[in-house]
Amino acid sequence: MIDKFLLAYRSIREKRTRSILTVLGIAVGIAAIVSLMSVGYGMEEAITGELMGMADMISVMPGKITGHTYVELGSFTDRDVKDVQRISGIKDITAMTYDAAEVKYRNKRAPVFIIGGDTKELGSFYVEPVGIKEGRWLRENDFKGCVIGHRVANDFFDDIIHVNDKLIINGDKFIVVGVFEKASTLYASDVDPFIFLTLHASKEALQTDEVKYIMVRVYDIDEAEEIAEEIKEVINDNHGLDDFAMAMTMGSMIEQIGTVFNIIRGVLVGIAAIALVVASIGIMNTMLMSVMERTHEIGVMKAIGAKSSDVLSLFLLESSMVSLVGGVVGCVLGAVAAKVISLSAGTALGIEFGAVVKPEVLLGGMAVAMVVGVLSGFYPARKASRMSPVEAVRYE
Amino acid sequence: MIRTENLTKVYQMGDAEVYALHDVNLDIQDGEFIAIIGPSGSGKSTLLNLIGCLDKPTSGAVFIDGINTGKLNENGLAEIRRRKIGFIFQQFNLVHTLNALENVALPMFFAGVKRETRLKRAEELLAKVGLGDRIYHKPSEMSGGQQQRVAIARALSNDPEVVIGDEPTGNVDTETGNTIMGLLEGLNKEGRTIIVVTHDAEIAARAGRTKRMRDGKVLD
Repeated sequence: MIDKFLLAYRSIREKRTRSILTVLGIAVGIAAIVSLMSVGYGMEEAITGELMGMADMISVMPGKITGHTYVELGSFTDRDVKDVQRISGIKDITAMTYDAAEVKYRNKRAPVFIIGGDTKELGSFYVEPVGIKEGRWLRENDFKGCVIGHRVANDFFDDIIHVNDKLIINGDKFIVVGVFEKASTLYASDVDPFIFLTLHASKEALQTDEVKYIMVRVYDIDEAEEIAEEIKEVINDNHGLDDFAMAMTMGSMIEQIGTVFNIIRGVLVGIAAIALVVASIGIMNTMLMSVMERTHEIGVMKAIGAKSSDVLSLFLLESSMVSLVGGVVGCVLGAVAAKVISLSAGTALGIEFGAVVKPEVLLGGMAVAMVVGVLSGFYPARKASRMSPVEAVRYE
Repeated sequence: MIRTENLTKVYQMGDAEVYALHDVNLDIQDGEFIAIIGPSGSGKSTLLNLIGCLDKPTSGAVFIDGINTGKLNENGLAEIRRRKIGFIFQQFNLVHTLNALENVALPMFFAGVKRETRLKRAEELLAKVGLGDRIYHKPSEMSGGQQQRVAIARALSNDPEVVIGDEPTGNVDTETGNTIMGLLEGLNKEGRTIIVVTHDAEIAARAGRTKRMRDGKVLD
């Protein structure tokens, strides 16, 4: 059996350039699959990784998502908040009010969203994960103090806003006591473009005390789904409506992201598969040429006693060996490419993520390479095995 | 013993039918040294191919030790080619990616013989044909005569009863041709049946019996 390998190896080595090109063809196809899968997994983990930290959170909103937009159906009441607080298994709860307001800094006016809520609770949700760049977080008695997000400080107005600067929000004067760091992708939409006030101050500035957002933390992540259902029930009951409140657990969000990424990976792999199809056509072509060129040799082998099955296995072995090497090279190239892609894409998009090269992906890549080798080599190998000895021997 | 009965081989060339062999009846005894001589196109190579089980007749039969080869399937024919017959070609036909030792071992490899045994026997055979010092040389590193001697050693690989040569001296000089014929004579003395096809009368003369062929028929 070892000698069959040796014989196959000799033939492969004889046509060195051709064999190398075939190996490259497969390697590129496999590398594409491996690298894209790994980048895909890396991106998924980067995003879900951060979310996992918030796995014990439930977001409750008075509205629903139809298609891709959120439609606000109303607002929560203090009673809603108290009732939710009573549900067992809830560790923390914070109610937020938000609305757009006209904000003036020096001579520039801009509409900015104001968020108001319990200072301690808001603080625990945002200050630690994002970080304060300048100054400090709000205190309970900061009636005229505000903390601003990174984009508010740097992008919204002509000048950069610092601590102790004064802002005019809906006509009222406020003083900046803190500026947030630039938030990572996940919190970016929650913090960067907002100005934070105490609940009391926001009620005054926004002239409303409507609760537009409730954030809940549970003790046991496994109970999150259940508790979310309970929250919806309680609030819906209070309002006498069936489908008023929306409670999203991080778990379901992570699942949704997972689904999206499965689709993304599927598309990417589909594209890479095209490369593989091209490669396997190439292999079949190469093997057919090889068989034609070796017609005479095949005839001689049959004349000295080789069975048809001997010839078949010899050629199949050749194409399998070439594609196995291609698979290994492809996996290595793919892993390297994945790291390179994730580094450069990360820099370009401003997020940090590393490609995740899973052993299953590597094994899968090699298996695919082998299958490609055997399948594309089969027809030529069969052709070789069926050659009549006398015709082949006569062929020059 | 090899026997042909009304052996016929017809080729289709477009619309025309070409009779390469026409009702050939031939008896070859065990241990004979027979030469078949004839001009180009006389059908001698076709006859050899049919006896050597490289090809199947259009009609008629070839009997080897009483077995009708026409009734054998591909594997059966391969078996005969492997065990009973050693073939020598005009163009040597060695596998050029393998060295002399490996070439001689090749038929044994197909017969499933163990590696150690193969290589040992191959070395012995190469020594027998006078190439003991060239066993690791590739065909490209050998002269025509040396290659043909390797081919003879290869033909003896599985210890066949019959050795068939299709113009074995056709591609070598006279002196080498003599050496090769000498080797074949030696094999004949060992008890093997030797069938040689040639267009060279001098070569044919060294055989025990000569048969002439012309236009697909054996002349008496």
